[in-house]
Amino acid sequence: MNNAAIARVTESLPLRVARNDEEDAAAEARMAAQSVLSIRHLSKSFGPIAALKDISLDIGSGQVLGICGENGAGKSTLVKILTGVYRPDEGTILVGGEPASISTPRQAQERGIAIVSQELSLCPDLSVEDNIWLGSLRVPFLHKRPELRQRAADTLALLGADYIDLAAPISSLSIGERQLVEIARLLTRDARVLILDEPTATLTDVEIDRIFAALLALKREGRSVIYITHRLAEVFAICDRVSVMRNGELVTTTALNGLGREALIELMLGRPSGEMYPEETRARGAPALVVEGLTLPGIVDNFAMTVRRGEILCIAGQVGSGAAEIISALAGLVHDANGRVMVNDTLLKLGSPARAARRGIMFVSGDRAAEGVFRRLSVLHNLVATRLGDHSVLGFLRGGALRAAGERLASHVGIDRRRLRSRAEDLSGGNQQKLAFGRSMERQSNAVLLMNEPTRGIDVGARAEIYRLMRSLCEEGYALVMASSDLEEIVGVGDVVLTLYRGRLVKQYRRSEVTMHRVVADITHPADGTA
Amino acid sequence: MLSVLTNRSVRPYLLLVAITVVLWILDGGRGVFFTTSTAFSVLQQFATIGLIALGLGLSMIIREIDLSVAGMMSLSGCIAVLTGAGQPGLGVALAVVFGMVWGLFQGAIMVWLRLGSIGVTLGGLLTLGGLAYVVTGNLSISYPRMDVALAVNHPVLEIFSLRSLVALIAFLAAAFFMARTRVGRDVYATGSDHRAAMVAGVRTSAIVPAVFACSGMLAALAGSLLSYSLAAASGVALTDVLVPAIAAAIIGGVSLMGGRGTPIGIVGGVLVLCLLSSGLNAIGTPPAVHDVVTGGVLFLVAIADAIDIDRRLFAVQRYWREMFLRRDDHIGLTKPRPPGSVYHKEAVRRSNATPLIK
Amino acid sequence: MKDQTLPSTSRDDWRLPLPHSTRGRVLVAIRFAAVLALIIAAASTPGFFTTVSLFSLLNTTSFIGCIAIGMTFITLSGNIMSFALGVTLSTSGIVFIAALPLGLIPAMIAALTFGAALTAVQGVVIGYFRANPIIVSMAALALITGCATLITQGRGVYPAGDEAALLKGRVLGVPIPVAALIVTVVVAQIVLSFTQFGRQLYMVGSNWRAALAAGLEPARVVLGAYIAAGLCAAVAGILMAARYSSGDMELGIGYDYNAISAVLVGGTAISGGEGSAIRSLTGAFIIAVCQVLLLLNGFSSQIQFLAIGVIVLLVIMLQTLADGG
Repeated sequence: MNNAAIARVTESLPLRVARNDEEDAAAEARMAAQSVLSIRHLSKSFGPIAALKDISLDIGSGQVLGICGENGAGKSTLVKILTGVYRPDEGTILVGGEPASISTPRQAQERGIAIVSQELSLCPDLSVEDNIWLGSLRVPFLHKRPELRQRAADTLALLGADYIDLAAPISSLSIGERQLVEIARLLTRDARVLILDEPTATLTDVEIDRIFAALLALKREGRSVIYITHRLAEVFAICDRVSVMRNGELVTTTALNGLGREALIELMLGRPSGEMYPEETRARGAPALVVEGLTLPGIVDNFAMTVRRGEILCIAGQVGSGAAEIISALAGLVHDANGRVMVNDTLLKLGSPARAARRGIMFVSGDRAAEGVFRRLSVLHNLVATRLGDHSVLGFLRGGALRAAGERLASHVGIDRRRLRSRAEDLSGGNQQKLAFGRSMERQSNAVLLMNEPTRGIDVGARAEIYRLMRSLCEEGYALVMASSDLEEIVGVGDVVLTLYRGRLVKQYRRSEVTMHRVVADITHPADGTA
Repeated sequence: MLSVLTNRSVRPYLLLVAITVVLWILDGGRGVFFTTSTAFSVLQQFATIGLIALGLGLSMIIREIDLSVAGMMSLSGCIAVLTGAGQPGLGVALAVVFGMVWGLFQGAIMVWLRLGSIGVTLGGLLTLGGLAYVVTGNLSISYPRMDVALAVNHPVLEIFSLRSLVALIAFLAAAFFMARTRVGRDVYATGSDHRAAMVAGVRTSAIVPAVFACSGMLAALAGSLLSYSLAAASGVALTDVLVPAIAAAIIGGVSLMGGRGTPIGIVGGVLVLCLLSSGLNAIGTPPAVHDVVTGGVLFLVAIADAIDIDRRLFAVQRYWREMFLRRDDHIGLTKPRPPGSVYHKEAVRRSNATPLIK
Repeated sequence: MKDQTLPSTSRDDWRLPLPHSTRGRVLVAIRFAAVLALIIAAASTPGFFTTVSLFSLLNTTSFIGCIAIGMTFITLSGNIMSFALGVTLSTSGIVFIAALPLGLIPAMIAALTFGAALTAVQGVVIGYFRANPIIVSMAALALITGCATLITQGRGVYPAGDEAALLKGRVLGVPIPVAALIVTVVVAQIVLSFTQFGRQLYMVGSNWRAALAAGLEPARVVLGAYIAAGLCAAVAGILMAARYSSGDMELGIGYDYNAISAVLVGGTAISGGEGSAIRSLTGAFIIAVCQVLLLLNGFSSQIQFLAIGVIVLLVIMLQTLADGG
């Protein structure tokens, strides 16, 4: 299994943009000259967790630097420091050779740094044009100028998005369109250093090509680009050099020509990927969850799936493809979901989480702060949150029984018993997520566990534990459904993989036949040219 | 055409037309209600409530709320009356400056200490109201300049007065500012998504205190002019000011979720409430009915602007269809939208936690 | 240990740069200093430790305390406060007096049901529709005040007979209002700490969406909290009406502000999910002490009102400082 997993993860990914070796050599020469942006010994901690440890980087003009790393490696923290959202504990940033203190996003802009963030920074009630020029230093007091509108329209046209109406409010755009608007904002900033943090998470390959063309044009003008991604095809397509980060540390910075893909992957993962994902379970039971004709207006169209007991089904899709919304709808959190859902052969009416919970559907969200954890309450309270009725008499709680239940659950998921009394917000992200899992354990054996990006932002060690937990739940007879945009995880964990593009099911794969290449192809462009 | 009807800022004017029609029917063509003196009294009320509603509306646009405007109104009346005996303009100016300073103070606390506005402005309401209470000793302080009182209320062009003109000018200035300037756009951005606006480069830490300074100034202006016009400063009850002002702002298109609403819309909302109240007066209802009506309007408006109203309405519609129409499809129940257009995280963000508390 | 997924709040680095633990220590020091200051003020005020003033102190505490317990339920559920509890008190008192001809117990039941119904309507709108709680309570304040004034025509309601005299006496040597307060606090604290509803209340107040996703029913819990608040306000209303032998809209004026001050001073978080009935009792006691001190030192009731406003502002600021965000 290990070899198969490695093979699936490390297989060749096609390059899409042709490269020019002479240009690469010229770029290296330029780097030896002055660097546009330098980072020296940057460190940042949040409490005792060190998010960044002693990072040093240089970027010269006309260079594209890729930063690769897994979830939780520290890439986003680095970007947030460069753009003024966080302030570093130690270290300096030099822009154009001079030390720069960047304490607000506006100051970052003044220094010539612009960003497309992973979490889109668009204001839903404002129009497209207003969002493109929002916060830009170049906008005068009376801001409705025809030349600005023209520039915005031209930039959208450059990205192939001129079908987007400049006056439309952002709330009416699809998520792919929003990402293009955010990139258009970046391009109008005339920045010296452009930072793109996972900018293609929702885009088709055609759109991605156009963005690369625009970036390469800027590169030839002498601007620098920092490109953060964990999609290796993109790294090889556009970057000159790549820095690899792992657990807050910079593992290496190296030029790309000559670096093989396998070597890069190994640098990123730091260990063979086989250790992460446990063996699959043998037994498969009866269908626990059958979905037919699930439609969420405006998001998902006519989705269907069957999940058996003891099986992990993964729904792969980019952000906005509807994967996360399907999970939420099955958990009862979407009020206008429509479709036929059978749980253990009984019909489930959608729209009420309480009803779903009574039928044995449990929900774990990757958005812990918003949907998962009661931060000010203790770990114990969090663990037993859903089983108060089981241990109460006439409405009165049986404290001893609850405490015992809590201790059992804590040991089951690997949370130290001594932490039961501390507040949930004091736990690390990985432990908080284990808490969410713990809440769902020890239910009736025909339960269904729905998960929405459960390992988001969690370090490698905790993730491996969570995958083990998932497998042990399978052994107990649960059926698990997981929506994720982390393709490595989907391919490593899923017994069945469904791919989703723009709200429609593309294909279904068994474990033996799924590869990352096929999944990426499915989720980034429509089959047979249909939208 | 349809888009004009659903425009939030047009709705209050439609409501205004509806109320006018009802009043006209009740009037029966006798010409008792629709006189210039009625218009004058409506606009006089507009002068008081309107300025408060504008300030409150601005604070709601940035997804906060300024509860202290009621206290500011009382206290600024006291300041104006006590200092404006010689120079009435000085009294108003001092009150307005105080309003600005207090607003900046509240906004700065919110930004610096990362506090929600409800707590801070609640404290502000109690403090300012308490100060006014202390200064007036629960009586009224009279203002000796009767000539100023008359001048402030003197009819201009038959239906306006100095006070209502000041209010109209304030609204026009606000409307221009919000629609045409970069700062106005930044205000909408801050309310629409504070974090996104900040990351984009908007100076949100300056916008918040500035908006609260505006609401403080507007409340001070309203309070000082009102006390001149009554030739006395006295305390102001919560229900007399906050209830109609919030109702007016929400009717006018402002939402507690922030990011929307225009000054012109707020004008419409205020006029709706003033017309309603004048209508009630004309019928001869006791003042307690006024409380009931404005309270009822605010109650309905609060439900209309509720977070889960769409969800619950949808559930009711679906229940109705299943029970009585025996249909279990959803055709026609929801608007068609392009695929991928609902941002899941936005739904979570908007539905999580009471707005106005961080 | 903080989360590795960093909070995406952008105000993170804008607050005062004090480390977490020092902030907590500063808050404890401030609380200690405040209590000390109160004790010194009490000791140096002539006439504070007389029976009369202590008696009046207990009485004041019991009325503020009852409402504060009710307010606590609302604040714990994440709905900050209600402006309508004072009028709920007054109108329940009016209903009580008006129903006295039916007998003492039926009158009490009528008043309690009425108070609970008034707040239950608000609870439905706030829980099921998630309308803004402050605004709904303001609207309810106007509606209730208006309707009550219309019905009573601005006059008070007076009892015909003497049935309510029973409530002016003592039980086991303790004045009835104080006994009622103690019972209310005990019942409320038991509900909060030991029942399913209480535990769910903390969860809903801590994170509505997480409570929903976990399969609890937040709307029902919020409704329950508002009903509890209405019952507490009605209890206070009954006691007040008995004490003053009249039902009048004037009786409840200002109690909302006192109550929310008591809740905040006692240490319940304004954002919900943290606090208790006993804390609110302590807060009510402190507020009552402040009021009596001001009164004995010759300050008017207006200054007392101002003082409470300043206290609320300070407490809110300190609370956030302590939390560290």
